[in-house]
Amino acid sequence: MITALSLIVFRDWRRHKLRLVLTVAGIALGTAVFFAIRTNNTTLVTSLRSTVEKLAGKSTLQVMAGEAGFSQSLLDQVRSTAGVDQAEPVTETVAALPSGERILILGLDTASDLSLYTSTIDQGDLTVKNPLAFTNRKDSVAITKSFAERRALKDGDRFIVNVQDGPRELTVRGIFGSGGLSEIYNGDVAVMDIYSAQEMFGRGDHIDRIDIANKADVDVDTLQSRLEAWLPSGLKAIKPDLRGESLENSVASLNYGLTVMSFLALTISIFIIYNSFSISVSQRWKEIGVLRAIGVTRRQVQLMFVLEGLFVGAIGSVAGVGLGFGLSKLSVRFVGDVTASFYGVSPISEGVKFSQVFALEAVAAGLIASLIAAWIPARAASNLEPTLALRNIETREKGAVSGRPRWVAGLIFLGAGLALTRFAPTEVNGNIQLFYSFFIMFGMILLVPKFIRIGGRILRPVMDRLFGAEGLMAIETMVHAPRRTTATVIALMIGLSFVVSNSSFIQSQKKAMNRSLDRAIAADMLVASSSEIHSRTYHFSAATADKIKSLPGIETADALRVTSVEYDGQEVAVMAHEMPQFFKISPDLLDVGDKETAIESTSNGTGALVSTNFANRWAIRPGDSITISSPTGPVVFKVAGNLDYYRSDKGTIFFDRSVYKKYWGDTNVDYLFLKVKPGTDLQSLRSSIASTLGGSERGFIYTHDEYKKWTSGIIDQFFALMYVQMFIAACVAVLGLANTMVISVSERRRELGIFRAVGGLRQQVAKMVIIEAVAIALIGYVTGVLAGLFNSYYLVTAAVRIIAGYSLPLVIPYFVMMIAAPAIILIAVISAAVPARNAARSNVVEAIGYE
Amino acid sequence: MNETVIAFQKVSKTYNTVHALDSVDLTIPKGARVAIMGQSGSGKSTLLNLMCGLDVPTSGNILFEGRDLSLMNDDERTLLRRNKIGMIFQTFNLMPTLNCLENVALPLRLASTGARSAETKSREVLGRVGLTGRLDHMPDEMSGGERQRVAIARALVFTPSILLADEPTGNLDSATGDEILRLLDDVHREFGMTIILVTHNEHAAAICERRIDLLDGRIVHDGAADKLPDIPQ
Repeated sequence: MITALSLIVFRDWRRHKLRLVLTVAGIALGTAVFFAIRTNNTTLVTSLRSTVEKLAGKSTLQVMAGEAGFSQSLLDQVRSTAGVDQAEPVTETVAALPSGERILILGLDTASDLSLYTSTIDQGDLTVKNPLAFTNRKDSVAITKSFAERRALKDGDRFIVNVQDGPRELTVRGIFGSGGLSEIYNGDVAVMDIYSAQEMFGRGDHIDRIDIANKADVDVDTLQSRLEAWLPSGLKAIKPDLRGESLENSVASLNYGLTVMSFLALTISIFIIYNSFSISVSQRWKEIGVLRAIGVTRRQVQLMFVLEGLFVGAIGSVAGVGLGFGLSKLSVRFVGDVTASFYGVSPISEGVKFSQVFALEAVAAGLIASLIAAWIPARAASNLEPTLALRNIETREKGAVSGRPRWVAGLIFLGAGLALTRFAPTEVNGNIQLFYSFFIMFGMILLVPKFIRIGGRILRPVMDRLFGAEGLMAIETMVHAPRRTTATVIALMIGLSFVVSNSSFIQSQKKAMNRSLDRAIAADMLVASSSEIHSRTYHFSAATADKIKSLPGIETADALRVTSVEYDGQEVAVMAHEMPQFFKISPDLLDVGDKETAIESTSNGTGALVSTNFANRWAIRPGDSITISSPTGPVVFKVAGNLDYYRSDKGTIFFDRSVYKKYWGDTNVDYLFLKVKPGTDLQSLRSSIASTLGGSERGFIYTHDEYKKWTSGIIDQFFALMYVQMFIAACVAVLGLANTMVISVSERRRELGIFRAVGGLRQQVAKMVIIEAVAIALIGYVTGVLAGLFNSYYLVTAAVRIIAGYSLPLVIPYFVMMIAAPAIILIAVISAAVPARNAARSNVVEAIGYE
Repeated sequence: MNETVIAFQKVSKTYNTVHALDSVDLTIPKGARVAIMGQSGSGKSTLLNLMCGLDVPTSGNILFEGRDLSLMNDDERTLLRRNKIGMIFQTFNLMPTLNCLENVALPLRLASTGARSAETKSREVLGRVGLTGRLDHMPDEMSGGERQRVAIARALVFTPSILLADEPTGNLDSATGDEILRLLDDVHREFGMTIILVTHNEHAAAICERRIDLLDGRIVHDGAADKLPDIPQ
């Protein structure tokens, strides 16, 4: 029986090839996005973990103090701790090559035997022609064979890296043949002597970590306890694998956002499949009637459609995995750059690996999506009464999907979602609150048939007046095929709502950021040591900062060090300002708290300011105390006020740089905020700063407006992946529309034949099909914009608060909404072009006889 | 004067290897009522489709009011169909998404007649076929007889010179079928239009003065019908 039914299904596919292709493409795209995002997320996380583990060599513990590092003076004490077999100091610097690519430069004590790193650095495999020169010359570097081959470097050759003091030449005096180093960052790794690295990268006596191997007779946990017993509170002895987890945590929000997007793409696919199968049932109405009449059971009919759904789903999913793998290869570098720029963590070092588990997961997700989508049409087919199915076209049952219970339920869900978003208290990490968005979207989905009816009522006279009978027919066709139209409108609605809500979110983020920059960075000019938001490599020395501060024309200068510390297990940003100057330059920076008290307490080092998201995340109010760890012990601050600030999704703490210097022993500076004297020419000042930097030292000089523009560009860079996702979501929705029009033409073959028989010209048929597509697109547009705005409200009111503790103002993306209208009409016309041409060319005699 | 509406000159139509019509010669004068009869597969529907320009002959010429259909392109044939030919089908072929009034107005609207004028004209024709009270009804809310009346009204709305009816009573019970035949008879009397009725129902054919019998794509009889039927009034 199944074989016989399969034959019917295969014949149907042969007759409706375009519909089949579009359906498969819809599933493939949804699955591809799902697979690509899963793969990218994992590549990123695996990369972070494996890099940490590989760089750790055989060490079982690492002493660390956050990104600022700590004084090397602790090394002897670590080495003398009972149970420590070996302890090696390490610096890690990600430096830029002139091409913009990055290289990780490890500073190791090359005077030691490096036996801790034999798994990564095989000394036997290292060719050093002149060991004495390697140790004695400060520009010596050992590179991997792959790095050397890619850049045609050999022993003695020189290459340039950009360091804080400008470009520096490094000389190749050693080449690693193969081994662990080549597997990190695609081999873009070099080893320098640690003392040379400290000097070259302005680290003073600071190191990033001490790698430790325990003695065989002391277990790791015991040694860890012994070390933590005396280490200052800001330093921790941690196992390398836990350090990898900590880095993962810092990119968790990015991963989370991408994962949500992948599910969204899959959801849109469900509606495409649902639509396709609904129409397939509708098209085979009579066929089903005949099957039922000759003895095929309801269950067998249902099975036929479900198996068809699974089969199509399998083809689409497998194709999607292939497509997704290609997509992840294209986008992984970009994800790596974003994480490097925003989180300061090392870029992706691993190539994209094809994961069979993810492939199976993606295929399973595609199959489940297909099953869900095919289930309802399959049930409808099995419930069909043979006598009804065999009747004429005029008496076929019309899909009833717009009943009162449905739209009332829709209103309830929508209302509940919006009310919960508005009134329910939100808390950071309150995952249950993410369901508000589901309520909103589900409510809108239930309301779509009602919107179609209302839209049909509004569009009917309009299209009638504009396009005559073709317009009228198009609207009537749309309204009288609620199942087909509903599924398409839902797919368009989800796609467009995604575009609108994300645009709104990005603009809201920019608006909030601009407000924050105006209030908290009201400097006339800013000098930054790096072109990235978060750099662990490039800093100004205190001397350079002082030279810039003393330039004529500067009224007030605030030297700022940006770093991060661990607070309650999370990495939060630290802004070590010169607080009195900070307040002078940006007098309106506080959103909560008494300004005078804040100036006093932060200037004398007892007080700190926190960002609003920090306060939300840990429920901290002005007057509360917070304790953070430093390499030299705990530091307690009394919170003096809050300000909206968006540097870190975990939160930001502001305190005086003198405290930072004292506890962290770090005098470096990342930014200089400058307020200029009235009448000072900014261009002249810019030239003076550039010449102070000597023309060779790295420095990025911005006016206030330039800095805002740069920040806005950075936000765009951060959300670039989201734009790509938005594009893919739109593509999936467009596929849905094209599929619907193919189906619509196919389903109405007889109607179109009658239309031609009573005097409809070919171009009138084509026009009618295109108008129907435009009408569907317009309703999709209105519902999409509405759903998008509701979702925007949810995103800025609840989601960002749940994820990052932020609260953002809602910005309605008028421009995007304005552009989307003609775009969606154009897309509708393009989507309908082929179906319209096919409809116009159809054979009237055959069509009239077609049942 | 006996003007010719349609003339077939050695018309053949072949579908792959099947000869649906084989060298048919035929002349139909204006105002005639002609019944075309024959068994299934005899070529009746092919003949009708060729007459209204829905299909084109494999060979031979078809002249409609002196114009050669085979020299017309698809748009010209469509316009001819819209303006000069009314068509009625066995399965009514109403647009399921349009109500009664809109179905009748459709050919007018396709010809760019204003909505108001088209509606006025359609109301008038629907009044003529006795459906004044059913204007807003959808096809699936009407009986078979009513639907066929709507189809007749749609065919008449342009006051065509010829009315082609393909088994117009085939899907109706005998009483309703008689009503439709009476209506066609009335239409003929009132407008004097040519009616070509394709049927294999002797009773229906009897409203025509002339009868053409087809067998295997050839005309085997062309002559006067035996007698006019008694249609219950």
